[in-house]
Amino acid sequence: MGFKMQPMTVPEPAPGKDQLFTPEIRAEIDRWIAKYPAEWKQSALMAALVAVQDADTDNNPGWLSQKDLDDVAHYLDLPPIAVYEVATFYSMYELKPVGRHKICVCTNVSCMACGSDEIVSHLEGKLGIKLGQTTEDGHYTLKEVECLGACGGAPMFQIGKQYYENLTPDRVDEILDGLE
Amino acid sequence: MTEESTITIEVDGRALKAAPGAMLIDVCDAAGIHIPRFCYHRKLSLSANCRMCLVEVEKVPRPLPACVTPVNDGMKVTTNSPMAVEAQKGAMEFLLINHPLDCPICDQGGECELQDVALGYGSDASRYAEAKRVVADPDIGPLVATDLTRCIHCTRCVRFGAEIAGIRELGATGRGDHMTIGTYVEHAMGSELAGNVIDLCPVGALTSKPFRFQARAWEMVQRDGIAAHDGVGSNVHYHLRRDQILRVHPKDNEAVNECWLSDRDRFSYQALSAADRLLKPLVKQGGEWRETDWQSALEAAAQGLAQARGDDGNQLGGLLSPSASLEELYLAKKLMRGLGSANLDHRLRQADFRGDPPKVPWLGGPIAELEEQDLVVIIGANPRKDQPLLGHRIRKAAMKGAEVVYFNPLKLDLNYRAAQWVANPRDWVLEVANLAKAAGVRKGVVNKIKVADHHKELFKRLKAADKALVLVGDLAMGHPDYGLLRCLAAQVAEAAGARLGFLTPGANGVGAALLGVTPGEGGLDAQAMLAEPRKGYLLLGIDPGFDLENPAQGLNALMKAECVVALSSFRSPDLETVADVILPLAAAPESAGTFFNIEGTQQGFNGAAPPAGEARPGWKILRVLGNLMNLGGFDFNTPLQVRDEALGMLGDAAPDNGFEPDPALELTLPEAELLRIGELPIYSVDPMVRRAPALQATADAQDAAYLRLNPEDAKRLGFTAGDRITVSQPQARKAVFEARPDPAVPQGAVALCTAIPGSQALAGRFGEVTLEKA
Amino acid sequence: MKAFIDYFRSLFLLELFRGLGVTGRYLFGKKFTLEYPEERAPQSPRFRGLHAQRRYDNGEERCIACKLCEAVCPAQAITIEAEPRADGSRRTTRYDIDLFKCIFCGYCQESCPVDAIVETRIYEYCFLEKGQNVITKDKLLEIGDKHEPQIAADIAAQAKYR
Repeated sequence: MGFKMQPMTVPEPAPGKDQLFTPEIRAEIDRWIAKYPAEWKQSALMAALVAVQDADTDNNPGWLSQKDLDDVAHYLDLPPIAVYEVATFYSMYELKPVGRHKICVCTNVSCMACGSDEIVSHLEGKLGIKLGQTTEDGHYTLKEVECLGACGGAPMFQIGKQYYENLTPDRVDEILDGLE
Repeated sequence: MTEESTITIEVDGRALKAAPGAMLIDVCDAAGIHIPRFCYHRKLSLSANCRMCLVEVEKVPRPLPACVTPVNDGMKVTTNSPMAVEAQKGAMEFLLINHPLDCPICDQGGECELQDVALGYGSDASRYAEAKRVVADPDIGPLVATDLTRCIHCTRCVRFGAEIAGIRELGATGRGDHMTIGTYVEHAMGSELAGNVIDLCPVGALTSKPFRFQARAWEMVQRDGIAAHDGVGSNVHYHLRRDQILRVHPKDNEAVNECWLSDRDRFSYQALSAADRLLKPLVKQGGEWRETDWQSALEAAAQGLAQARGDDGNQLGGLLSPSASLEELYLAKKLMRGLGSANLDHRLRQADFRGDPPKVPWLGGPIAELEEQDLVVIIGANPRKDQPLLGHRIRKAAMKGAEVVYFNPLKLDLNYRAAQWVANPRDWVLEVANLAKAAGVRKGVVNKIKVADHHKELFKRLKAADKALVLVGDLAMGHPDYGLLRCLAAQVAEAAGARLGFLTPGANGVGAALLGVTPGEGGLDAQAMLAEPRKGYLLLGIDPGFDLENPAQGLNALMKAECVVALSSFRSPDLETVADVILPLAAAPESAGTFFNIEGTQQGFNGAAPPAGEARPGWKILRVLGNLMNLGGFDFNTPLQVRDEALGMLGDAAPDNGFEPDPALELTLPEAELLRIGELPIYSVDPMVRRAPALQATADAQDAAYLRLNPEDAKRLGFTAGDRITVSQPQARKAVFEARPDPAVPQGAVALCTAIPGSQALAGRFGEVTLEKA
Repeated sequence: MKAFIDYFRSLFLLELFRGLGVTGRYLFGKKFTLEYPEERAPQSPRFRGLHAQRRYDNGEERCIACKLCEAVCPAQAITIEAEPRADGSRRTTRYDIDLFKCIFCGYCQESCPVDAIVETRIYEYCFLEKGQNVITKDKLLEIGDKHEPQIAADIAAQAKYR
């Protein structure tokens, strides 16, 4: 039986969990932990990372610092490398600082066929950054993502948790102007 | 495998019998049908991610990976059909896409699984014209070198870390093309088995750092040997070029070391070419050391011993390393007995010799059975570091659900879940006594204590357990109340119907006990012969500043002696201070010998390399010494003759933990504000290990140099991390160490290792210490 | 009849005159002998003479201590020791060729993945003292530095056949 069949916990839970995060985040993670068998705290890892990344309480909103990852490992009694593996695998976990608005442009087949290239070049021109970069003022991060499942409204992008579909350069200007 | 439970499958037209549910690759391996593979390893979990072992199975439309395909009755498999070969070639092409063509500078070149399989299945040219992936190489410690660009992501090392070493340090971060194996945050691997990833890695991504670029597989010859640093007696292959040992690999032996090797056994060979290796006999003349020839050195030794002896043989004492071979120990004993001395001992780090000793202390059962235990109570030991492969077996038992309970004077860093009952060195004995009282012992120390509920519970479980084991280890042996601890442990084991085992130190502790390298009638033990200084001493394979329980007392006694003859592979300042003649001794890989490992298995070995310089095997030195001193019966021509005589003397003696517990033993360790805990660090056990630079650079060795104490004590005494602290013990010189608060140490105790630089000045491993800022 | 013909031939020394005829033809014909050392025989770019070690243009030695030449050498004339250099690269600390053992087969040059060890066109050398038959890495590099233009030209000329 391999290690993937067994809960991947550290031999001994470390104390001081109540010093981690905020009570809200801890409650959110605990809610997820409760959904799984007691020894499978590891199952709550992805949700815990989301909760920590989204939390706006610390001074690094929207991304996971090294300390955040270690804290999640500590909280879930996991070896830190287990957290690093998950956090680096999924592209929606940000491991570097991002701007206040993360613009995730889909460039998969449907969007590309409907003109996502034009949207990307328009955004790049407007914001003065390339894909994967953040504007100097820290307002915008431009990111290329894979299909977000909104092919019906291609081309599209996502800002924060909001989808914006049927984009044209004019509509992009309008959306960006509407952001604070 | 009974007849009903076997099924028949057909592989490449051959009918094979197999157990139902066995994996195809195992069945083929057993029948000698080779299927190429990278990620599969028989000791690790299955992951089927390399796709190299694809084979064709009849009625299945696509090729199946043999490593995760269970066999079925009547299954027809072809491993070399066009479909299978095409699939394997395809897998090979993908594996080679990102693999650099740097075989000429790769240490794995010539013994690389990828290279071999590429020769069979690879194409002569690559169709891949795009840029190859390049990965930065993290530094993961002094033992393992990384070249992760070569990695083919088989994840053997990751699974090894999680399943065998028990520490998840390496992981696969990133995804797809960006996937890399590493620690993510750069840090050294802390496992004592980390070196095994070198063997596991099928390519040159993880290679041996000390061996880096030294030699090619084809220019080395392989000779077998037995590792000489712990009681496991791991079977090893020495790889030599031009008569020099360049690396050590494990030799498979399921009963002993499986296919693993501890780092200590793997990298200790470095000491063979240490700068302070003793290459010529040394004789002290007028306070000056002079290199001399064998004849005059041996004559000086014989004369010195004879003079020191005078008319009373008991003016001589022999302190022999428990890692010396059976032959050496036998001849040393014969020499000492021939000279009329009954003072002989190999239990150099044992503090207390009260009570009836176990006849021949040993593990109490086969090593392999450790992993089948249901409950293991470990008193005063850290098997993970003391005997890493025994620790691995105990971990296996724990992973299967066994309960492991530790009674130790400090908290251990374990790689599995276990109960640890920690108390300062004095209360620790009382903890064990508590368990004994729960077991129904009513005499002696137990009278004064009140038994706690959790001890009763533990004893109940111990009694109920089908297979239970009580192990007593090195830390207990170094305790001034070892006699008491041993008694209590034996009484607990007997009351519970559990087996009793001793984790004896040294590579040949069982052999030494079988031979009776212990005080004879009226003789003095290792402690007594130093407490009551003798006029002459024979030291075999030890460094008195490091290998004695009480180095201050030991060095003092040796200084006063008229003649100290030392057989040693290395020079050392302490040895040069106290000895009068130092004879260069061949190290274990350089001489033939026999070890009895901790489970009592006799394992013989031949010298793999010629001794360095003019060093000679111990049996030859002792033979000549015996003859020079006109003692009869030293005419041996080969080590085999010595062995046969020694074995003949043993007769059918067998390891036996039996002894008569003495209930009258009292607790002697006085209460004190601070009591020392003198752990024996993993990389300080013998002179060879202490001289292996790679091992000394590991965190295990570096951390051992600190004086650790409970943060509360540190606060009370006003010490902070990094403070230089002067340590004093009664009847010892002062020594200075760096403080490190550590919650693993209980209050009222100071963890200060023995056998580390600086510890020579100190006295016993346990006992009162006073600290002050330097 | 046969006895008569043999007698006739031996009587008139026919065999001798035939032999003298050959001598005469070469006596007056074109001369093949070279007046060494004033005259030299032409050499092929594949000539296998004294060994040399080469460097890259930036002065870095080519040899990476892969030990293939040592392994392939049928006379076991090559001895290599290696260790990581300070910068971590794989380099030889010793590279000796025993010219008494060497049979100039050229396998070392053939096996070298980086064209480091080559056999040059040099065939005039001597050893005046014991031990000089072993040429060390320093000497090999020195020879290489001295003859690099010729070595490079020879390798370029052979490139299409390799």
